[in-house]
Amino acid sequence: MITLYIALPLAVVLLLNLSPRRTANALSLWCGLVLTVFAGAYTLAMPHVPGLADAFDPANRVLQWKIEAGNLAGVMFLSIALVVFSAFWVGRYLIADSNRRFIFNNLLLLCMTGMNGIVLSNDLFTLYVFLEVVAASSFILIALERTNAGLEGAFKYVLLSAVATVLVLSSMALIFVLVGSLDYGTVKAVLTSGQLDAATSRFVTFAIGLFVVGLFIKGGMVPFHGWLPDAYSSAPTASSVLLGGIVTKAAGVFTLIQLAQNVFGWDKPSPVLLAVGTLSIAVGAFAALGQRNFKRMLAYSSISQIGYIIIGLGAANEVAVVGAILHLFNHSTFKTLLFVNSAAVEKQAGTVDMDKLGGLANKMPVTGFTSVLAMLSTAGVPPLSGFWSKLLIVLGVWLSGAHAVAVTAILLSVVTLAYFLSMQRRVFFGRLAPGLEGVKEAGGWLLVPEIVLAVITLGLGLTMPWFFNTFLVPLRSLWSL
Amino acid sequence: MLSLGTILLILLVLMVLSALWAVMATDLLRSTIALALTSVFLAIAIYMMGAPLAAVFELSVCAGLITVVFISAISMIKPEGNTRKEDLARKRRKRLKKYIPLPILLAVAGVLLWLNRVDLPFTPDADVFPLTLSEIMWDVRRVDIAGQAVMILVGVFGIVVLFKEFVRRGKGGEE
Amino acid sequence: MSTENLMLLAIFLPIVLAVVPLALVKKNALAAGAVAIAASFANLVVVCLAYGKDAALTLPWAGWFFEFTLRNYQFSSFILAAAALFGALLSVYNTVFLKDKAYGWLFHAYFLLTLGFVNGAILADNLLLLLFFWEGLLGLMFGMIYLGHRDAYRTATKAVIIAGVTDLCMMFGIGLAVHLAETATMSQMKVPMEGLGGLAFVLLVIGAISKAGSMPFHTWIPDAATDAPMPFLPFVPAALEKLLGIYLLARVTLDFFKLDGGHWGSMLLMVVGALTINLAVAMALIQKDYKRLLSYHAISQVGYMILGIGTCTPVGVVGGLFHMLNHTIYKCCLFLTSGSVERQAGTTDLRKIGGLGRKMPVTFVLFIIAAAAIAGFPGTNGFFSKELVYDGALERHWIFYAAAVLGSFLTAASFLKLGHAAYLDKGRGDASKVKEAPAAMLVPGIVLAALCLAFGAGNAFPLHNFIQPVLGDALHGHDYSGFHFKLVLVGGSVAALLLAFANHYFGAKSKGSGLAAVDHIHYAPGLHQIYDAAEKRFFDPYDWARNVGKAVAYVGFGIDRAIDFFFNKVVVFVAGGISGTIRALHNGSHATYLAWTLAGLVIVIVACMAGRL
Repeated sequence: MITLYIALPLAVVLLLNLSPRRTANALSLWCGLVLTVFAGAYTLAMPHVPGLADAFDPANRVLQWKIEAGNLAGVMFLSIALVVFSAFWVGRYLIADSNRRFIFNNLLLLCMTGMNGIVLSNDLFTLYVFLEVVAASSFILIALERTNAGLEGAFKYVLLSAVATVLVLSSMALIFVLVGSLDYGTVKAVLTSGQLDAATSRFVTFAIGLFVVGLFIKGGMVPFHGWLPDAYSSAPTASSVLLGGIVTKAAGVFTLIQLAQNVFGWDKPSPVLLAVGTLSIAVGAFAALGQRNFKRMLAYSSISQIGYIIIGLGAANEVAVVGAILHLFNHSTFKTLLFVNSAAVEKQAGTVDMDKLGGLANKMPVTGFTSVLAMLSTAGVPPLSGFWSKLLIVLGVWLSGAHAVAVTAILLSVVTLAYFLSMQRRVFFGRLAPGLEGVKEAGGWLLVPEIVLAVITLGLGLTMPWFFNTFLVPLRSLWSL
Repeated sequence: MLSLGTILLILLVLMVLSALWAVMATDLLRSTIALALTSVFLAIAIYMMGAPLAAVFELSVCAGLITVVFISAISMIKPEGNTRKEDLARKRRKRLKKYIPLPILLAVAGVLLWLNRVDLPFTPDADVFPLTLSEIMWDVRRVDIAGQAVMILVGVFGIVVLFKEFVRRGKGGEE
Repeated sequence: MSTENLMLLAIFLPIVLAVVPLALVKKNALAAGAVAIAASFANLVVVCLAYGKDAALTLPWAGWFFEFTLRNYQFSSFILAAAALFGALLSVYNTVFLKDKAYGWLFHAYFLLTLGFVNGAILADNLLLLLFFWEGLLGLMFGMIYLGHRDAYRTATKAVIIAGVTDLCMMFGIGLAVHLAETATMSQMKVPMEGLGGLAFVLLVIGAISKAGSMPFHTWIPDAATDAPMPFLPFVPAALEKLLGIYLLARVTLDFFKLDGGHWGSMLLMVVGALTINLAVAMALIQKDYKRLLSYHAISQVGYMILGIGTCTPVGVVGGLFHMLNHTIYKCCLFLTSGSVERQAGTTDLRKIGGLGRKMPVTFVLFIIAAAAIAGFPGTNGFFSKELVYDGALERHWIFYAAAVLGSFLTAASFLKLGHAAYLDKGRGDASKVKEAPAAMLVPGIVLAALCLAFGAGNAFPLHNFIQPVLGDALHGHDYSGFHFKLVLVGGSVAALLLAFANHYFGAKSKGSGLAAVDHIHYAPGLHQIYDAAEKRFFDPYDWARNVGKAVAYVGFGIDRAIDFFFNKVVVFVAGGISGTIRALHNGSHATYLAWTLAGLVIVIVACMAGRL
C-alpha cells in the first residue's frame, strides 16, 4: 500500500489538470490539504495497522512495485506531510494570482511525490530519478515569481545541482561497474562483505566520496552551500517554507542517512562528516549573525542546524543517530514555523528587512509568540523539542570520542541563541518601527500552520521522555550497530 | 588497426574538446552545434562499447531533439546586435580564465585514476542481463518510469511558469 | 479500588482539585475553602483505605533510573495517614480563618497542591521521583510564605535559599547514593557506609533534617512565623515538614545505610539532635511573640526525634518516631491556639495581650493540654515518647540524656512563661472585647488535644498500630507500650518539671509578671550577651552567607566590569569580524560558489582516499 505515497499525489495532479480550470483552481488547495492530512494520518497508523507498510501485492505482476519503506520512512513521511501542509496554507495566503497558485499547488504535490519517492526507493537509480524530480520542481518553485533575484537564485541552484548530479551519476556508474547492481541490499552485501581487493575497494571509496559530496551539495553543507542562501531568500516565501522546511533534508540529509545505513554500511565515526558538519554549524551560525534579511538569516540558520544532523550521523553511534533523526524532524517543524512567521511578517509589514522592522510582537501576538517558541527550540533551550535532539546529538558525539566537536557544537549553540535573540529584538520586540502602526495579525490562513507547528514543537518537547521510550528507543535497534 | 581502447580514448578526447567549445563559444548557435557534436561523439562511444539502444537514445534525443529545440528557441530571440570584435575577444579571455581550473582538475583526476587503475569487472551484456528491454523498462524499472512521468509534468509546469506568461505579455505588447 | 489506584488517587486528587480554586471566576475564599475541605477529607478517606496495605506501582517515565515508582507499605501509609489527618483538620480551620482574606483562594490552592506533593513524596519509591516532589514543595513553600504581607517575599526568599542549598546537598547525596547502590529504587537501596557512602549519608541527612527544621538550617522558621500567613505554620513547619523530614531520616538511617550504634554517623546525629534541642529551646525561652516562641519549639522538638533515631537503639528509634507523631499533634494544636488568639485579639505580641484565659476558656484549655504534652507532663503523649528517647539516649551515653533533660526543663519553663503571659497576666492591652474563637476553629484543636490525651493514656494503640510495625523484627519482640519505664528516668523527668515550676514561680514572683518570669536566665551574666547577639542574627548562617555574599559581590563587581568588557567589546568584535568576513566571502557569484564546491570535492575525495571517511 505504500505505493499510495507516490501514486496518490500524482493521480491528484493529473485529475486536477484534466478537470475544468475554474474548478481545478478552487479544488487544488483543498485536494492538497486533504492529501497531506491523509498522508500524515496514514503514516501515524502505519505501525499499528498491518499491511499499511507493505508494497502492493508482490505476487501480482501488475501491482508489483520495487519500493520499500525503510525504518526512517515514517519520520520522513510525517515531516514531508507536515511541511507541505504548511506550504499549502502559506501559498493560499501569499500568492494572489489564482492561476499561479494553481501551478504552485501542483508543483508542491509533484515535489511531495518526489520526496516520497526518495524515501521509498531501494535502488540507487530510482533514488537518482526522484532526486532530480525534487530538484527540478524546486528550481521552478524558486523562480515562480520570475523576479530577477528569483531567477538568479534558481540558476545558482541549477548550476550546483547539476554538479551534484554529475557526481552522483559518476559514483553510481562506478558502483554499478564494481558491484553489478544498484539495489541497496545487493550493494551493501558486496561492500560490507570484506572480500574486495585493495584496488577495487579504493575505487569504491572514491565512488562513495563522490556520492557523499553530491549529497552535501543537495543538503547545502558548507562549503557546498553557495546556492542555498540565495535560493531561499530570493524564492517566494511560500516556496521558502517548502525548501527550508524539507527539501534539503529529504534530498541531502535523509538520503545520506539512508545510504550510510542501508548501502555503505558505515559503522564507525567519520571524520569527514564530523568536519563538514562542524564547519557548517560554525559558518552558518556566524553568517546568520550578520544578516539583515529575515529569510536570509533563516537560510543560514538552516545550514547551521543541518550541520548538527550531520555530526550526529558522523558520530555513528545509536544515541547520536537517533538524535540526528529527531533533529531532522524537529528542524523541519521549527524551521517551517519560522518561515511561516516570516511570511506573516512579509505580508503584514511589507518587508523582511530587519532594519525596517521592530516591535511587532504587540501587533502580531500569535506570530510573535510562536516565533519565540521556534527560536528557543532551535537554540536548544529546554524543555522544547530542539533541546532534546541537540542533547542526544552532543551526547552521542561525545561518546564517539570526538570531544572537540561536541564542545564546539555546544558553544556554537550559544551563537544560535545570539542571532535569534538579535532577530527577535529587531523584528518582534523593541520599539515599534515607524510606518508599522497599522500592522495587524496575519489572517487565519497563516495562523493554522503557525499554531499546529508551535503545538508540535512544544508538545514534543514536553512529552519527550515518553516519546523517547516509545518511538526513539525502538528506532535505535534498527540502526544496525 | 586501432584497438577498441584507443578508439574510445580518441572519441572521449574529442568529446571533451567539443564540450569545451560549447562552453567557450560566444555565439549561441555555435555553442548549440558543439553540444550536438559532443552528443554524437558520446553516442558513437556508447555504441562501440556495446550498448546500441543507449546510443540510439543519445543520438536521437540529445543530438537531435534538444538541438532542434535550442535552435528554434535561438531563432525566436533577437540577435545581440553588432558587438565589436575586441569586446568578444575580451569576453572570451574572461571566460577562459574562469574555466582554467577545469582542465587542471580533469588532468588531476586522470592521473589519479591512472595511478589507481584497476581491472574493472567489465562484462558483456548478454549473460548479465537476460531480460529484454521491455521487461527492464516496465518491470524492473517501473518506479523510475513513474518518476520520469513526474519529471515530465514538472517540466510542463516549468514551461508554463517561465514562458507562457512571457509569451502572453509579448502578444499584449504587440497589440 | 485497588491500592495501586488509591496511591495514584492520593497524589492526583488534591493536585487536580487544586485547579478548582484557581479556576474560580470570582475569587471567593469560602468557596475555595469548601473545595479544600472536600478534597482533604476525600484524601483522608483514600489514605485510610490504603492504610497498611503492601502495594507497588511502576509506570514508565523517562527511563534510566527515572521511574515513576510508588510503594505503599506500613511506614509510608502511616506517614500518609498522619499528613492526611492534619490536612483534613486544618482545611476546616483554614476555611474560617481565611474567609475574609484576599489571598484566601490562592492559599487553598497551594494547600491542596502541597497535600498532593507531600503524598507523592511519601509514596515515591524512586529517589529521583522523591526529589521531584521535594523540589515541588520548595516552590509551594515560597508561594505560601509570599502571601503573608507585602514584605514577606524576603522571608520567602530566605526560606527558599536555605532549603534550596540543603536540597542541593541532598541532590548530590542522591546522585552519590544512586551511583553507589546502582539503583534509584528506595526499597532496594543498600549503600555501604564507608568512603563516598559516608559522604552520601551526610548529604542525605542534611536534606532530611533541614526539611524537618533542625539546626543549623532552621533560621527561616521563626521569620516565617511572623511573616507567613498563620495557617502556613501548623500545616507546613509543624506538621508536614516534620513528617516528611523524619520519614526520610528514618529511611536513610534505617533502610539505605543500616546505621548501627558504633558508627560515627550515629554520633553525628545524636550531637546534632542534642544541640538542636537546647539551642533552639534556649532561644524560645526569651521570645516575646506567641508564634515566634512556638516556632523555636518546632525546631527544638526535632532535636528529640533526631536524637532518638540517632541512638540506633530500638527504643530510641521507636521513641523518635512516636515523638514525631506526638509533636505534630500538639504543635499543630498550639499553632491553632496562636491562630485563634491572633484572630480574636488582633496580635500575638505577648507584650500587648494578657488575661485571655477568661475570655477564651476553650482555647486556654486546649493550650494547657498541648503545652503539658510538649513539656512532657506525665500521662500525656509527649511524656511517653520523650521517656523512650531518654531511654535510648541513656543507653548510649549519659551526656545525651542530660542534654535531653535540660531541654525538657527549658521547654517547660518557656511554656509556663507563655501560658502565664498570654492567658493569666493582667493589664497589658485591652482584652475586654475579645471573645472566644468560632466553633469551626475550635473543633480541630479539640480533636488534636483529645489525641494528646488519648495517645498518652492509651499509648499502646499508636505504638502497636503505627510505630512498632515500622521496625518489625528489629524490635526482637519488645513492646514499648504501657508504663514500665525505669524509675530513674521518670524521676529525672519529674524533677526537671518540678524545677521548671519552681523556677517559674520564683521568677514570676520576683518580677511581678509571667512574661518576665525567665528574665533572670535571659539577663544572667554571660548569657545575655549571647542572647543579644542571637537576636541580632549573629548566629544565622543565612546572614553570614549574605555578608560573605556582599564581600564576594564587591570583588565580583570588579571582575564583572572586566567580563562586561570582554563580552561587550571583545566578543562582539570577534564575532562581528568572523561574521563580516563570512558575509564578504559570500559575494553572490556562482563562479565563487562553484570554486568552493570543487575545492571541497577535492578535499573530501582526498580525505576519503586517505581512509578518513
